[in-house]
Amino acid sequence: MTEQLAAALAAEEAAIYAYGVIGVHLTGSDEVSRARAAEQEHRVRRDDLVARLDELKATVPAAPAAYALPFEVTDRATALDLAIHVEDGVAQAWRALLPVTENTERVEALSHLTDSAVRATRWRRIAGAVPLTLAFPGRPGA
Amino acid sequence: MGGAEQRRSEWLTGRVRNHSRRVFLGAAAAGSAALAGCGLLDGEPAPDPAPDPLQPLLDEALALAAAYDRAILAQPALAARLTPMAEDHRAHAAELAKVIGATPPSAAPSASAGAGAAETAATLRKAELAAQKTAVAACKAAPAARAALTGSIAACRATHAEGLR
Repeated sequence: MTEQLAAALAAEEAAIYAYGVIGVHLTGSDEVSRARAAEQEHRVRRDDLVARLDELKATVPAAPAAYALPFEVTDRATALDLAIHVEDGVAQAWRALLPVTENTERVEALSHLTDSAVRATRWRRIAGAVPLTLAFPGRPGA
Repeated sequence: MGGAEQRRSEWLTGRVRNHSRRVFLGAAAAGSAALAGCGLLDGEPAPDPAPDPLQPLLDEALALAAAYDRAILAQPALAARLTPMAEDHRAHAAELAKVIGATPPSAAPSASAGAGAAETAATLRKAELAAQKTAVAACKAAPAARAALTGSIAACRATHAEGLR
């Protein structure tokens, strides 16, 4: 399970980094505050994951100082695309924890998967993307 | 061979033939009775065939798809937003059927779409939130091999509720 937890940690750290880039390019104040709230949630999850990995005596790999973004972010539209991309990626990382957890821990992982999927839907609506939802959030390649 | 002798031998072979046909028919009849007996036994329900724990989730997915079909019929203006969600539910049903080992449900919109209660975005949203709870419970109780699928279905239902706001 530490492997999946470490992957979730990496996804959360990438999300925190990405939201820093996204925030710069968003225009509406509601969009900016949404991005800030999302980033804050990803920070909380990052901290929880670090604590959990520490509890399991697993070594926590240091987060890279910078990330190669999947595409260039130059304006509001590409910033919204990155937000959707990041939340879909985080959802995948949490989904991978479902088969290796049980009971409360699984329900928590599912709740994080769901939060990211719902956030991705909100960003899709703001971006005017169609459709708003994926049939299997978190499934790789979905 | 003389004529009488030949007739007798024909008669004899005839008898034998008839007899063997009777025997054959008798055997066949006995055989089919035995087969019928087997069939009846096979038709007996297996002792306590507990339905698959994911069956309610599959039924719910089909019911939700049908509810979307009704809403689209009643308000065609909503079709662009609702059709992909109905398709999500059908994809869930197909995937669940595969896992359960049941016959995959028809991919076509339900024929009874015209019947039933009037659906609005608000009633669909309420149904999605209730269905999300069912899927969360199914995910919690599922063996590892089914956890990811049921989890994705729960998350998808939550995104539908969000998309219906």
